[in-house]
Amino acid sequence: MAKLNKEQFEAMLIERHGKSVHEKLKSAIIGIAGLGGLGSNVAFSLARIGIGKLVIADFDSVEPSNLNRQQYFIEQLGTKKTAALTENLLKINPYLKIEGHSLKLTAGNIPEIFADCSIITECFDKADQKQMLVETVLNKMNDVITVAVSGLGGYGRSNEIQTRKISDRLILVGDGKSGLESGFSLMAPRVAIAAGHQANAIVELILES
Amino acid sequence: MAVLKINGEDKIFENAVPSTLKALLELLKVDEATVVAEVNGQIIPRNSFYNTILKDGHKIELIRFVGGG
Repeated sequence: MAKLNKEQFEAMLIERHGKSVHEKLKSAIIGIAGLGGLGSNVAFSLARIGIGKLVIADFDSVEPSNLNRQQYFIEQLGTKKTAALTENLLKINPYLKIEGHSLKLTAGNIPEIFADCSIITECFDKADQKQMLVETVLNKMNDVITVAVSGLGGYGRSNEIQTRKISDRLILVGDGKSGLESGFSLMAPRVAIAAGHQANAIVELILES
Repeated sequence: MAVLKINGEDKIFENAVPSTLKALLELLKVDEATVVAEVNGQIIPRNSFYNTILKDGHKIELIRFVGGG
């Protein structure tokens, strides 16, 4: 399948990014909590630029309602998201290391599952799950940074989606208000904007730390 | 008169500040299940909102989450 061997693939990335940037991206281990519209898009970006390893977690399988914004295909309906996303990511970057966990993340298992990660990105759908992940990382995982999202529903208003540094260990993306609770639906373009903010914040953290 | 600094802005209370973090969130009509809270720089776990005592002059950061991902 691979028409670029590992050395050729790395040479392509080095040509694009420069050697020192490439080495930093390659040594990074990033956690992705939730593999929906945010998580699948963040993963695609990070795979393309040559992040070394992703730890991905979600208990769900691919459903028809996911296809309007998530990076899966019709033929993957019913497949576990961890398996489907792994398959898709390896088509982009066959040399990416991926550790998949098909389970429900809890305050109890998050520190163990993401133990090797320097950054964990919050990509859940439900507000209380977002709260749970951020609280758990900030309270139980010293030195780990989390990049979370609040408010990405609807369409238009692209420039209202912002990246804000709340503290040294919390970056918050979103408009802070356009939630499912307020009747907003989720659509590929605005979800991808927020996911792009997340992935871009992660790259900045890796390269400037 | 008493004051809490909430997300960088002074909120003034006529008599006393709400007694606990939980009471403050109820007053603000914020669902505690969707908030990460910091009091004077310390993250407060959600299950301790009810016994986190607030006093005049405390600094509070409330990070609210809405659904969608």
